[in-house]
Amino acid sequence: MKHFFQSIITIVLAIAISACAPVEDDIFTTAQITVAAGDEVVITRVQAQVKLTNVNTRQVTTSADFDGASLTVEVLRGAYQIDIEGVATCQSPDGRVHMHQFRCQSDYTEFVRDGQNDITLNMIILD
Amino acid sequence: MRRLYFLILLSITITAATASNADSALVEHTSLGKLTLQQALRNPALHGSCYQMPFSQLALGLDWQHQSTAFIPEKGDGYTLPYLEVNTYHHLGQRSTVWGEASYMTGKQHGVKWNSTSDYDLLQPYILADTLGGDTRRERYTISGGYAMAINRWSLGAEMLVRAEQEYRSRDPRMRGIVTDLTLRIGGGYDFKRYRIGAAIEGNIYKQTNSVAFYREEGVIPEYQMTGLGTEYSRFSGDKRSLYYDGGGFAVILHASPVNGSGPYADVTLDYHRYHRKLAEFNSMPLTDLYNEHVGATIGWKQEKERNLAIFGHIDYTKRTGNEHVGGTSDARYFPVIACLTMYKGHLLDTYAGALYGNGQWHVVLTAGYRDGREKYVYPHRQMDASHLYGKLQGQCFVRPSGKWLLTMNADVSYRAKIGDKLQMPFANMDAAITRLIQHKYKFATANYTDVGAKVRADYAWKQSRYGLFAELGGGMTLCSASEHQAVLHSSIGITF
Repeated sequence: MKHFFQSIITIVLAIAISACAPVEDDIFTTAQITVAAGDEVVITRVQAQVKLTNVNTRQVTTSADFDGASLTVEVLRGAYQIDIEGVATCQSPDGRVHMHQFRCQSDYTEFVRDGQNDITLNMIILD
Repeated sequence: MRRLYFLILLSITITAATASNADSALVEHTSLGKLTLQQALRNPALHGSCYQMPFSQLALGLDWQHQSTAFIPEKGDGYTLPYLEVNTYHHLGQRSTVWGEASYMTGKQHGVKWNSTSDYDLLQPYILADTLGGDTRRERYTISGGYAMAINRWSLGAEMLVRAEQEYRSRDPRMRGIVTDLTLRIGGGYDFKRYRIGAAIEGNIYKQTNSVAFYREEGVIPEYQMTGLGTEYSRFSGDKRSLYYDGGGFAVILHASPVNGSGPYADVTLDYHRYHRKLAEFNSMPLTDLYNEHVGATIGWKQEKERNLAIFGHIDYTKRTGNEHVGGTSDARYFPVIACLTMYKGHLLDTYAGALYGNGQWHVVLTAGYRDGREKYVYPHRQMDASHLYGKLQGQCFVRPSGKWLLTMNADVSYRAKIGDKLQMPFANMDAAITRLIQHKYKFATANYTDVGAKVRADYAWKQSRYGLFAELGGGMTLCSASEHQAVLHSSIGITF
């Protein structure tokens, strides 16, 4: 009788432990997007809007909070389409400073890793 | 006044003729007094010793429901479902018992909207849906059988239940859901001093293939892969209309009850089921996983002598967890899964206390409870909560107007009152049709409900024959504080043997 109860309790505990649904509550990650203009040009300031479109849900996240040539934003883990459009202050190797209208685009970028996900996009100068 | 005298005389006559011999098989098998064994009867070992008398029945019936507007749009605003059912319970000797059931049901589900998937209660919120909907035809076959045997103080049992169902629509959007559902149970029991202690385990396999087709030249409408509280998986919505559900799970049932019918009793059930939704046309890409976890527990005290008395408390807690798979970039129609996120969380708590009183001929059950439902979509945040207090009074009476006739009368009345609610939705960013759906669901989730129902069954038995005839008629009305109502009707005829 004692073994009967022990067996039942063991089975119930084993099932209760193994039956827990796998929960992934860590749904956000950090994306750092850097705008680049080639090796020789230094981007000192960017004023632009970044539009991140989640490929799966079509949710759109926007931000314009650039620090130098980089922007850090918290997003839902997933794959994104990135569109950036704005103005950048660039310093050429000879020391001259120019302001350019530019845009950047990426059709598919994954932001799924823990911690920070880095992506560098080359600017397309419009003027 | 004459009518009043007539009614009083009729009441006295019927009361005088009330069956004193309550040991008919029908009474034993349908008595409300078995309510205390409701959960434990999932253990086939207990099922084998639950009834002393054999009982078999063949029934042809009709279930009908009509709602003035659909309380839950995904389930439609009514149904007309005729069925044929046979069930039997038979002792093969002192130690062995067999039982079984087979049924066929076919009919119509009316006005289904925002749902193109069968088994909504099981699979929600991960369903395929469209804005048009319409009536669907349903066809269901069930077959089940069980065997139990007793060896000294031990009892063992096994049971199998099979359900095959198809639901389809013969006009656009032509949804089709084909379900196969297999459940196996094995259980054991042991008589320990004056108690019967039992344990059973249950395994389940579930499959559903689900698709929607459009034949008309006018074009197609999008089918949405719903992900909870009005959200949808946009990338795979629209023209991705072929998917399947692959699921299953297991359960554990434990119980202890006094052998002589008097004393404390308790039971615990644990259920775990998961359902994977996969896209058939993209190499079975997993879209979502739904995990349903349930724990139920009852504790009570009962006395089964000349008067049956029971007081009990029960708690049911169901947790629904929904994981969404994030699809990566495609390669020859193959989408790798790059992440899995828990986005949907549903909690349902239902707890009540009750009392049962009666004897072989009649029973009254009074229950009062609290029900709390919470649903949440994590991001963008959506939340819908509703909590209710409820009370229910049920009555059952067996009356034998003559030696050949037996009347079974059931009646119930209940009231559910809302005591709390909460709705948080990003309405500014929501589609107009989805907004209307959410507002409709919220209105009915937070309404107050009054239910009344009654059912009468007449059984005619030939003397010195084990065959009998019966006819049953029941109906009910639900009044909703949202100024809507629901009517239900149940009727059946058949033979008992």
